[in-house]
Amino acid sequence: MLELTGLSRRFGDVVALDGVTFTVPDGEIVGFVGPNGAGKTTTMRIALGVLEPDAGEVRWDGRLLDAEARRRFGYMPEERGLYPKMKVLEQLVYLARLHGLSRPDASRRAAETIEVLGVAERANDRVENLSLGNQQRVQLAAALVHRPDVLILDEPFSGLDPVGVDALTGVLRGEADGRGVPVVFSSHQLELVERLCDRVVLIDLGRIVAAGTIDELRSSRERRRLRVQVGGAPFDWFDTIPGVRLVEDTPNDGLVLELDDEVDEQRVLDLARGAGDVTHFSRERASLAELFREAVQS
Amino acid sequence: MKARETDRGTWRLVAKRDFWYRLRDKGFMISTGITLLVLTGLILLRAYGGGGTPTFTLGLLGPGSTHLGPMVVQAGESQGVTIQTQPVADRAAAEAGLKDGSLDAVLVDGESLLAERDADDQLATAVHDAVVADGIRTTLEANDVPADQIAKILNPPPLPVSSIEPTDPNRDTNSTVAFIAVVLLYGQLFGYGVWVATGVIEEKASRVVEILLSTIRARQLLAGKILGIGALGLLQLAAIATYSIVLATLTGALDFPAHALGTAALAIGWFALGFAFYASLFAVAGSLVSRMEELQNVIVPLNLVILVSFFLSIGATSDPNSTLSLIVSIVPFSSALAMPVRISLGAATPLEVAAALVLSIGSTALLIPLAGRVYSGAVLRTGSKVKLREAWRAAD
Repeated sequence: MLELTGLSRRFGDVVALDGVTFTVPDGEIVGFVGPNGAGKTTTMRIALGVLEPDAGEVRWDGRLLDAEARRRFGYMPEERGLYPKMKVLEQLVYLARLHGLSRPDASRRAAETIEVLGVAERANDRVENLSLGNQQRVQLAAALVHRPDVLILDEPFSGLDPVGVDALTGVLRGEADGRGVPVVFSSHQLELVERLCDRVVLIDLGRIVAAGTIDELRSSRERRRLRVQVGGAPFDWFDTIPGVRLVEDTPNDGLVLELDDEVDEQRVLDLARGAGDVTHFSRERASLAELFREAVQS
Repeated sequence: MKARETDRGTWRLVAKRDFWYRLRDKGFMISTGITLLVLTGLILLRAYGGGGTPTFTLGLLGPGSTHLGPMVVQAGESQGVTIQTQPVADRAAAEAGLKDGSLDAVLVDGESLLAERDADDQLATAVHDAVVADGIRTTLEANDVPADQIAKILNPPPLPVSSIEPTDPNRDTNSTVAFIAVVLLYGQLFGYGVWVATGVIEEKASRVVEILLSTIRARQLLAGKILGIGALGLLQLAAIATYSIVLATLTGALDFPAHALGTAALAIGWFALGFAFYASLFAVAGSLVSRMEELQNVIVPLNLVILVSFFLSIGATSDPNSTLSLIVSIVPFSSALAMPVRISLGAATPLEVAAALVLSIGSTALLIPLAGRVYSGAVLRTGSKVKLREAWRAAD
């Protein structure tokens, strides 16, 4: 388990992080979401020891992180970076050795990794001669080559086509489910985060504004919402119950109503039945995008 | 702590990569090839080309010239010039000989010199001396001076020369060797310094540095890079020196290879010191910018310092005992270039050498942690040029 506690960091007068705290349990994939400039990259750089925090600490399996533990991390920086003139395999062997692998282990792992990621036939090409998609794969290989105990990926999906997204999704699930690796990645593709992640951490202006599983985030919403479709009812059939407001009136998917805490959902259903034919009645599940917008606005 | 111990050796991996990666670089092979080619040319020129004594052919026209011939040859010999004489039938033949270059000048009736344009000074002086000697001999003979006395007057035994300071018979060769050593050292210091800077920029521009720094600390990365590139520079210098000395000895261009070996060893040792001093500065310069195009801007000050040191050290090859040479050979910026020159020419006292060593090693030891700090603070900041002060503070 990776634990980040009370991380703060300023750059000159700019407060980049202000008490960032969250955990990444073993075998779980955590989506790290926030607007541009919210502090995602700074947080990740601190977790990797590339940057020092002004305050706070990072623990892995309960121990403060030291250089040795950090070498067991796999990292994919937002600014992709490899030696452009070095050959793919050679470069991965070098990086694996920097991560502490012996020469034979490094060679074996590098060959395995490019095999799994489908760039084995490019082993002896210079990185600069690869297509962008393949460069991205090699970049991921660089994060995975030493069989890391923790994976920290900054915007790993940006620039990937749908096939690449599926492949990367598979790899991350494999690392988390198969080897129990805690994985944290940042992304702006919220549907993807919603689909892939076990839990989500929302950051804004250097503070964590929400964290938990998506269901936990949904249930922490202040108000419940219902989507209701009633045939042949007057447009204001719900008006008789106090504490119910119209949020949205769509032509094809009915109404979205917001309920105050004391309102009983069954009363709304009864009322709808009385007003006409109920063809749809459901709790409206907030998308991560909505939760994100609400969290950032509040 | 255990962790610190296990990642302590990672600089070796970095050094190895930088060493091998550059050894296989085309630019490295080409520059090594060019250096070897130039040195081969210089050595062969010295062994087989030109050199020797200048040789002239003097035409003798008219009876007044003929008897002067042997005296001109003799006068030439005493000046270190070889003069051959050749009788010329008439003026037309003289002019033809001058035009086709078979004659350098023609002595006409023992009274005047005829040349195509200008008569060579050394030739004219020899002829002049012969005319003077001939006049003296005629006068002495007219005064009944015995022939053996006349010979003594005209051909005195060589003047013995003694000096108050011992001279090195190999002085000229030694300065030439020292000169070549300074040129090589300059090229090596500057070239490999720039390589350190470009190596740093390459990692920064390609952003690979962020991955590297997630596995290894900035100072280890810096140390590995400097040591790897420096080892290559040292090896290249040693290879070039060995090749040159072997070639020069085999071709006879060097009469005294032991001294050249000594100078080469000095140059290699001082390269290590000079490179250690400059490399961290070049690394700092490189870490301040994010694009290769900006390299020139940041290394201008370093370039200037090395260039000035180079010219002052060239001066020391001809005047190793001057006060300027002494200062240049002790100050850390230039000692790596000037001190080996002064040592190899026998001008440096042990105290001076010790002072230069202490200053060089001491200032390098002070410089490395400062440079490491600026480098750590600057190397992750991409975009516009990082100010030194910002980099210093960012490393907190």
